[in-house]
Amino acid sequence: MTKELEHKFVVDLEQNQNIVHKVCRIYTNNQDAHNDLFQEITIQLWKAYPKFRGEAKFSTWMYRVALNTAITLYRKSKRTIKTQDFDSVLYKIESSEYDNTEEEQLKVLYKTIHHLSDIEKALIFLYLEDKNYKEISETMGITEVNARVKMNRVKNKLKNILNP
Amino acid sequence: MDQLELLKKDWKKQESKLPKLSKEEIAQLIHKKSSSIVKWIFIISVLEFVVPYFILLFTGYDNLSMKNYEKIGLSDFMTVFYAVTTIIILYFIYRFYKNYKSISANSNSKVLMQNIIKTRRTVRHYIWFNLIALFVVSLVVIYKMFHTQSFIDSLPENTSMVLIWAVSIFVLLFIMLLLWLFYKLIYGVLLNKLRNNYKELVHNGMN
Repeated sequence: MTKELEHKFVVDLEQNQNIVHKVCRIYTNNQDAHNDLFQEITIQLWKAYPKFRGEAKFSTWMYRVALNTAITLYRKSKRTIKTQDFDSVLYKIESSEYDNTEEEQLKVLYKTIHHLSDIEKALIFLYLEDKNYKEISETMGITEVNARVKMNRVKNKLKNILNP
Repeated sequence: MDQLELLKKDWKKQESKLPKLSKEEIAQLIHKKSSSIVKWIFIISVLEFVVPYFILLFTGYDNLSMKNYEKIGLSDFMTVFYAVTTIIILYFIYRFYKNYKSISANSNSKVLMQNIIKTRRTVRHYIWFNLIALFVVSLVVIYKMFHTQSFIDSLPENTSMVLIWAVSIFVLLFIMLLLWLFYKLIYGVLLNKLRNNYKELVHNGMN
């Protein structure tokens, strides 16, 4: 692959790197794991880049490859050193401290998201990114109806945790 | 405000706090080694192709064993057997290569998972083929061996042939069971998570 292509890719990714960071935020819960997944997604994007023909927007294509990597391709590396989890740093909360303020609600929501399945994480992520059902169905390869059913289920799951 | 709307608002707010890598840092990352599951699937699959073939080749297809086969009248059978297995194995390798090539992160999630599962399925069929071929050829060799005069002469008097057959088949099946369990283990380690994700994804959620 030529230097020119590499340069173009680096520029594109640098501008859109937020997407990858956000996928890492959903799928990992500490900085080392975040960096590891970011690296793997970058490698997969670069490997897939020559086949990206611009039929979709660069960012749309990035969502697809990044989620594919997080859900399917990525194998957690063993060498990751255990650092403190985001969960315990950011969302330090005991049920007794629960006071139902917006901030507390957010903490519980983020914590719950980290315990969702890989597929549920992808759905919530696409919801948070304001993707419509057509885009979700194209990214995941399921029908719009199925996407809708699954999305409602995850949303209800989150709501039920806050309002048992 | 709806709690999920609140979450969405906060999610957007968090965007400003995300890390920011420079172009140089990104350029370095793309040359790092991938730890993708596809790489492992490829390495392990190639081993699975190569190891049984070499076991088959080196344990049975040399001058000494061919001479032994000749003694029990199986040299033609074994030559045909090796020729046919080689052709079938080449076909498996071709199928594996085609499936492996179709794995691309550009596909949607479902197709990507399907292609990985299909690739592994080829290897699974290959392993089944090997186990069955091994079983059949062993039975033929044992049968012929049991009917040679030297073997019959070497048996103590009143030995039950049924018992000898039972023990032989038991040992064969036991070896196959061990191989199969070992294989299940590799397969499980590699694909359990993926298969569960796939099931969850395609499940239409209606019930």
